[in-house]
Amino acid sequence: MLEDPEELQLLIFSHHRNMYSPVKIWRRQRKLREYLGKKGKIITWTKIYTAGEGRSSEDPYNVALIEIDDHTRFSLQVIHGYEKLDFGQEVKIVLRKLHQKSHEGVIAYGIKCIPL
Amino acid sequence: MINVIGYHTTKFGEQWNKSLFDLISEAIHGVIKEMKIDKEEINAVFFGNMLAGILENNVHGGSKISEILKTHVPMYRVEAACASGGLAFNLACQYLNANKNSTVLVVGGEKMTDYPTPKVITALSAAASGEEQEAGLTFPGLYAMLARIYLHTYGYTEEHLAAVSVKNHFHGTFNDKAQFQKEISIEDVLKSPYIADPLKVLDASPISDGASAILVTNNRHIAHRIDKKMTVLSSQAATDSISLSGRAYLDRLDSTVQAGNKAFSDAKLSPIDISVAEVHDCFSIAEILAMEDLGFFKKGEGGERMKNYETMFGKTNGLVVNTSGGLKASGHPVGATGVKQIGEVFLQLTQQAGKRQVKKIKYGLTHNVGGSGGTAVVNIFSS
Repeated sequence: MLEDPEELQLLIFSHHRNMYSPVKIWRRQRKLREYLGKKGKIITWTKIYTAGEGRSSEDPYNVALIEIDDHTRFSLQVIHGYEKLDFGQEVKIVLRKLHQKSHEGVIAYGIKCIPL
Repeated sequence: MINVIGYHTTKFGEQWNKSLFDLISEAIHGVIKEMKIDKEEINAVFFGNMLAGILENNVHGGSKISEILKTHVPMYRVEAACASGGLAFNLACQYLNANKNSTVLVVGGEKMTDYPTPKVITALSAAASGEEQEAGLTFPGLYAMLARIYLHTYGYTEEHLAAVSVKNHFHGTFNDKAQFQKEISIEDVLKSPYIADPLKVLDASPISDGASAILVTNNRHIAHRIDKKMTVLSSQAATDSISLSGRAYLDRLDSTVQAGNKAFSDAKLSPIDISVAEVHDCFSIAEILAMEDLGFFKKGEGGERMKNYETMFGKTNGLVVNTSGGLKASGHPVGATGVKQIGEVFLQLTQQAGKRQVKKIKYGLTHNVGGSGGTAVVNIFSS
């Protein structure tokens, strides 16, 4: 079976989708819940016009480096619909879907931020 | 004493008809033939590559080079994102410090243009943290966030950034191995579309194929029989948090500051002694930060001095930066870049740089960065 180039392609493809492994998503989500609802401020940001594989349908989108009250910093996507961002602008961390359904059928939820 | 005794590079750019190991083979055989080195005289090989494992399921490159060279010497593959080539050279110097009378080959190569751009963007983002990947940050995005802080903190505009690309494209016109050998204007840069605001297409280095190789020795007999060589005064590497969220500063790359300070102190030189430098301009902002972090410019002066074209070939009697065209115009096959930088300084210090030869020079520097500053390698050389 492995000699079939399409089979091989499928194997390589699923290997590359390992970033969406259900176990990895589960490990990540255990940590993220404690940040939900936290408020922070924008340190810097960018608007991404050329996204990576599988995200082209999302671009352009804003990503901000934010700092919450305990001085922890995160790089988070800013949810769509907020075009004017500024230094020091207040944001809140919210739960959002991160990707389309993965190869294994798991939908990854994670954190993004919403300007206040 | 460690000497660089030879350099060969393929042309950088899109090379449809050549695979990664075709390019590597061309660079290796080129340098061996030109230097009239017997391959039996090579004691080890250091190979810089980032993406072959991710893009083409192709690792264990050392053994593939063994097949090309038909030798059984040890080979070390070094990966530090875009600093893979520079770090391969740094490791080669450690090897030479530990092994007398040895000669090593340092080769860097990358094959990037076989794949659709989004796939290459994702592969490159493997060098960012999981959190940054999850947020959809690309490498242009990471440098864009640094650029936004820099422009805001020191009161500069996108025009100041654009001057870096204009200078490096001008230099590229003198380099027949460069991917782009065409001048561009400030207006061209400013009119090009955004890839990650405030950075535009013409603020960014391209996706490229290419391979570069150098020979490095501490064998006095071999160094003696070769006229054109340069001496390694220092090779230093430093690291920093992979995420921007873990950095103490966002208007500088601390890894560059650390590696640069160590290199100058080790070489017993100051920035003012350097006549040619190849610094890591993956994006326009990166060259400005590098010039400040290495001590060539004071913090915050970079934007203004870049706009005055103070480091442009033909415009100064002082330091000229990125005579190869830099990553911007010369191209950026990521594993090859750090080796090509050393090769360019080698051509300059041995008076083989042709139309872009800088006059009256004694010392040169290379600066290679991995990721958004997670790794930096700084090397200082003398003629």
